[in-house]
Amino acid sequence: MNWEQLDLNPRIIAAVKRANVKSAKEILSLSGSDLQRLTQLSKTDVHHLHTAVAQAYCKRPLVTALQLLRGECPSLEPGHRLSFGCAVLDALLRGGIPLCGITELAGESGAGKTQFGLQLSLSVQYPVEHGGLGSGAVFICTEDSFPIKRLRQLIVQQSHLRQDLPKALVRSIRFSDNIYIEHAADLSALQTCITQRVPVLLSRGSVRLVVVDSVAGLFRNEFQADETVERTRHLLAFSSTLHRLSHTYHTPVLCINQVTDVVDGPNPGRCNFGLVESRVLPALGLAWANQVMVRLMLRRLGGCVTAGEQSCVPRRLEVVFAPHLPRVSCLCGVWLEGIRGIAMEDSGEPPQQALSGTARTAHGPGTAPEGAGGT
Amino acid sequence: MSAGISQEEALEVLQTLRSDEGVGGAAAVRGGVTALQLLQKEHALGDIITFCSALDSALGGGVPVGKTTEVCGAPGVGKTQLCVQLAVDVQIPVCLGGQGGQALYLDTEGSFLVQRAADVAQAAVEHCTLLAHDHEQQAALKDFTVENILSRLWLVRCHDYVELLAHCYLLPDFLTKHPEVQLVVIDSIAFPFRHDFEDFSQRTRLLNGLAQQLIQLATEHSVAVVLTNQMTTKVWNGQSKLVPALGESWGHAATQRLILHWEGTQRLASIFKSPSQMEATVPYCITEGGFRDMAPPPSPTALPSSPGPSSSVQQSKRPRVEARPP
Repeated sequence: MNWEQLDLNPRIIAAVKRANVKSAKEILSLSGSDLQRLTQLSKTDVHHLHTAVAQAYCKRPLVTALQLLRGECPSLEPGHRLSFGCAVLDALLRGGIPLCGITELAGESGAGKTQFGLQLSLSVQYPVEHGGLGSGAVFICTEDSFPIKRLRQLIVQQSHLRQDLPKALVRSIRFSDNIYIEHAADLSALQTCITQRVPVLLSRGSVRLVVVDSVAGLFRNEFQADETVERTRHLLAFSSTLHRLSHTYHTPVLCINQVTDVVDGPNPGRCNFGLVESRVLPALGLAWANQVMVRLMLRRLGGCVTAGEQSCVPRRLEVVFAPHLPRVSCLCGVWLEGIRGIAMEDSGEPPQQALSGTARTAHGPGTAPEGAGGT
Repeated sequence: MSAGISQEEALEVLQTLRSDEGVGGAAAVRGGVTALQLLQKEHALGDIITFCSALDSALGGGVPVGKTTEVCGAPGVGKTQLCVQLAVDVQIPVCLGGQGGQALYLDTEGSFLVQRAADVAQAAVEHCTLLAHDHEQQAALKDFTVENILSRLWLVRCHDYVELLAHCYLLPDFLTKHPEVQLVVIDSIAFPFRHDFEDFSQRTRLLNGLAQQLIQLATEHSVAVVLTNQMTTKVWNGQSKLVPALGESWGHAATQRLILHWEGTQRLASIFKSPSQMEATVPYCITEGGFRDMAPPPSPTALPSSPGPSSSVQQSKRPRVEARPP
């Protein structure tokens, strides 16, 4: 740090140099009395030094919440969200997934988690006025190979999913050119990927969405049961990298997670997030949950829904927690053209029929009472 | 010795000072106050209500101004919701039982979403509109709008612990310039201090320094300092349980400690450590409007009018808001 730039008495600056303090970080990490001892300065001088360094370090001015709401500080609060490309799902999440922070989607295998990742990788490519971010996506696979066939199918079907958009616009986007696929077979490969290659893509602006499918795979396989401390350390390093990337580039991060069975009875060491009816909980425990801003859970239900000629097994997408959302859920289905929420008057009853037309109407999402599990 | 005087000279200065003060009598020892004065001062500072009357009465009126309060809890249990609620409630006009203050929110997790603050503010405005009866209250409400509430909520984003430390050094100046600010929230203290640390002794040292700074800030500037903390799993004697993060020594940092937790589908708030209040556990819920009581109101004995440790002192004159959802 260049101490001369600070608005300080030269006597203080000389003392700092004499004490061989190099960085602002060092100054800020030293307590007043430690700094006094080190620099032989008086209490008042040290106070001035701390304040001047802190001022130089915090360049961003204070803002009020009103300025954020009015969109006067897009760097702090982008104001918009990444749309799912489905009005019902967007309504459930008040517009889509937030641009800053980690969004987790947990669910059993076969619930359709990867489908969400694929759909978002496409919807991010639309311009901002249509719910996208006008950029590509990076899709990090840690378990299976990338479902390229399904992606092609979704691309072909985009005009069916997005009937609200002009066909010419949908056709003009070269979807498959903007999805970067990464395979990470072990933790070190994953670390290299998110610390080296992903930042390059983000800084070039070629990518505005990071999907990790899944976080659980590597962290569950590479560590033994008695290596929890080590696992937690890696998990924190991983999540803080993602957190930083998300906030620096205003890029949503979707982490797909597995679930773990609740086998034993009540356990004071486990947090169930109020999900008492659920037989499964998101994997990786509290260390990971602390890093997640929005936690979603996807459950496969029984029965069948039909839309036109198609039929599929209904799913329930539930908000487990999010700072801006109540605990709500809605039904959705995986169709040929992608995932669509099912608008319901009353979510208590299993759906008999949902037409593709009604899934798009302005009905709000069905809400379930707190802690209601899948039927 | 930094003033460049010898020990004898220094002693002389001190003695002169002491003899000057001695003239005023024993009670006027510099900085010394009696317990009664302290109690009166504490009362004058007041509390920030939470809109959950059960929690308010368990806390003896709300979150105390002039003290530090730590809110611990698992993700999603409602720590941020409580903080946002407090940041809005501190602004309720005095004639409606509020503090008429402003709030500063240091967000280290990036979980402060302004959309949510607007929801909570809207609900608080609607709630207060129902309560306003006389002219003074109605006049005060004209100023209590969502826009005004949000314009009195200052926000800082800190991306790492150094930035947090830097902002804490700037807080005294900010609070001197903005004396209306009566609440400082740090949400959360744990997030920046739980990664990037290889050396735990350094972390402990930094946290201890920060705790001391915040207590000083709360007392000198008469603000409520609210910190949130994460939970971690602790395995002890083959049994695991959830405990607040950041280690044992951090447990001494805040004056009061509140733990939010789940019991089945019910959210509960437990007062874990408090110099003035009994240990208590009360239910609460998070609604669209914010932090609230459970739907069936608590028994009348739990209301703030119950004889508490403070009843022997003159109660503050402002009317108390019935903190229940409209």
